[in-house]
Amino acid sequence: MFGLPWHIVLPTLLGSLLVGILCGLMGALVVRMKLSSLGFAMSHAAFAGAALGLMLSVADPLWLAIAFSVATAAVLGPLADLSRMNADTVVGAFFPLTMALGLIFINKAPSAGIGSGALSLLWGSVLGITMDQVVTLMTILGAALLVLLAFGKELLALLLDRKLAEASGIRTRPVSYAVLFLVAVVVAVSMRVTGGLLIYAMMILPASAAFQWVYDIKKIFLLAPALGVISALAGFLVSLAADLPIGSSIAVSSAALFLVSTILSPKRRRVT
Amino acid sequence: MEDPVVQLEAVDAAYEGERIATLHGVTIRLTRGERVAVIGPNGAGKTTLLEVVNGLLPATAGQVTVFGRSVQREGHWLRARIAYMAQELFFDPATPFLVKDVVTAAVYGRIGWLRWPSRADRDRIQAALSTVGIEDLARRPIGRLSGGQQRKVLLARALAQNARLLLLDEPTANLDPDAKLDVARIVRDVEKELEATALVVSHEGGPLLEDAERLIHFDDGRITHDGPMRALRERLLAMEV
Repeated sequence: MFGLPWHIVLPTLLGSLLVGILCGLMGALVVRMKLSSLGFAMSHAAFAGAALGLMLSVADPLWLAIAFSVATAAVLGPLADLSRMNADTVVGAFFPLTMALGLIFINKAPSAGIGSGALSLLWGSVLGITMDQVVTLMTILGAALLVLLAFGKELLALLLDRKLAEASGIRTRPVSYAVLFLVAVVVAVSMRVTGGLLIYAMMILPASAAFQWVYDIKKIFLLAPALGVISALAGFLVSLAADLPIGSSIAVSSAALFLVSTILSPKRRRVT
Repeated sequence: MEDPVVQLEAVDAAYEGERIATLHGVTIRLTRGERVAVIGPNGAGKTTLLEVVNGLLPATAGQVTVFGRSVQREGHWLRARIAYMAQELFFDPATPFLVKDVVTAAVYGRIGWLRWPSRADRDRIQAALSTVGIEDLARRPIGRLSGGQQRKVLLARALAQNARLLLLDEPTANLDPDAKLDVARIVRDVEKELEATALVVSHEGGPLLEDAERLIHFDDGRITHDGPMRALRERLLAMEV
C-alpha cells in the first residue's frame, strides 16, 4: 500500500484504529464529565514517565509512561475531592509540573538517540508500531470494555448528574476514580501511536463530535469510537498519500470531523 | 407507638469549611404516610435538613435514623430507598439522556454492583412513567423538556425507586401556576401510590403546603414551630395582636 510493505502497514493501520476506538470511548467519559483537560494532564504525565525511561535508558519506556499516568490519576481524584476544587482546576495546576519534569528528564538523558526518542514521545511513531504493541492495545481495549460493561450503570448515573447519583445510593467516588485510572492507562498506551501532544486531540475531538449528533448517551458510546476510527483511518490514508506525519494527520482529521459535526449538528436547530 | 420513618435527635450540622452550624439541636420524628411541610426564610436550614436526613451532609452531633437504620452508617443503602428532589436540579438542553434513561437510573443504586435492572424493574419504570403521565415523553431528551415536565420526570424516579420517603426541596419553584398545580397533584398521587412519608421544603405557599398535615418552621437553623398548620397560624395571629 502506497509503496509500503504490508508488515509495516498492517500493524500501523490496526494500531491507529484501536487507538481511535479507545480514545473515542474514554473521550465520551471525560467530555461528559467536563474533564477535557484530563487527557492533556495524563498525556504530559505519560510524557514525563517516558522521558524518564529515555534518561534511564530502559528497554521499553511505555511502562514508566503508564506508571506516571496512573500515578497522576491516583493523585488527581483525591486531590480534587480533598480541595473541593473543580477537577479541571486541579488538572490545570498539575500539568505544568509533569511537562517540566518531562523536559528535565530529556535534558538529562544520554545524548545518543535522544533526538528521535524525544520526538517520538511528542509526535508519536505510528510506522514504528509492532504487532506486539497492537496486541497490547487490544488487551487494553478488552479490559476497558469489561470495566465499562461491569460498571456501566454506575457510570451512566454518574454521567447524568453526580449529586443525583449520590442521592440515589450510587458510590460515585470509586466509579470516578476508576474512570481516571482507565483514562490514564489508555493515554499512556496510545501515546506511542499519536504522541503525547496529539493524544488529547484523539480523546476529545471524536467524542465532542459524537455529542453534536445524538442525545442518547448509550449511542454516544457507540458513535464516539466510530468517529475515532473514521478519524484514524482518514488521517492514516491522508498521511500515506501526502507523505505527512501520521499522528498529525489523524489529529487534523479529528478536528475536521469535529468542525463538520458542530456545523451540521441537529442540536443547533431551533425547536419549532 | 408506631416506629418512626425518620428520627432526628438533637442534630447539629454544618457545611464543610463553615464555622457556624446550619442546624442546631434539631429533633424531629416523622411517621409513616405523614406529609410535613418545612418553611422558613432563606438560609434558615430547610435544605440542610433534607441533606442531613438522606446523609448527603453528615450530622456533626446527634443521631439521624431512617427506617430504623443509622444514616451515618448505612447512607448508601438508605439513599437507594429515599427519593430526593434537589431544588437546583434542572437539566440543561445539551444533556445527552433520554427521559426513560433518567428514570431508569433511579433504580441503579438499589440493585447493586454488577447487575442490571430486571424485568420487574423495567415494568415498574414503565408504570412510573404512566402514573405520572409522561409515557409519551419517554424517548425525548430530558434537557429539552420544560421545568414542570422535568419535575414530573423526577417524581417518576421516586415511583420507580419504590421510595417510602420523599424529600422534596422546592418541588414547584420556578414553575408557572398551571405546572405548580399539576406537580402538586402528581406529588399527591405518588405519595398515595407509595404510602410514603413526605418532607416538603418550600418558601412559598401553594397546594403542596395547604395539603400538609404538619408544618415545621425553621429560623436560623432552629425549629421555631412544629405542629398542625392551624396552630402556627393562630400563633402568628396572636403575635400580631
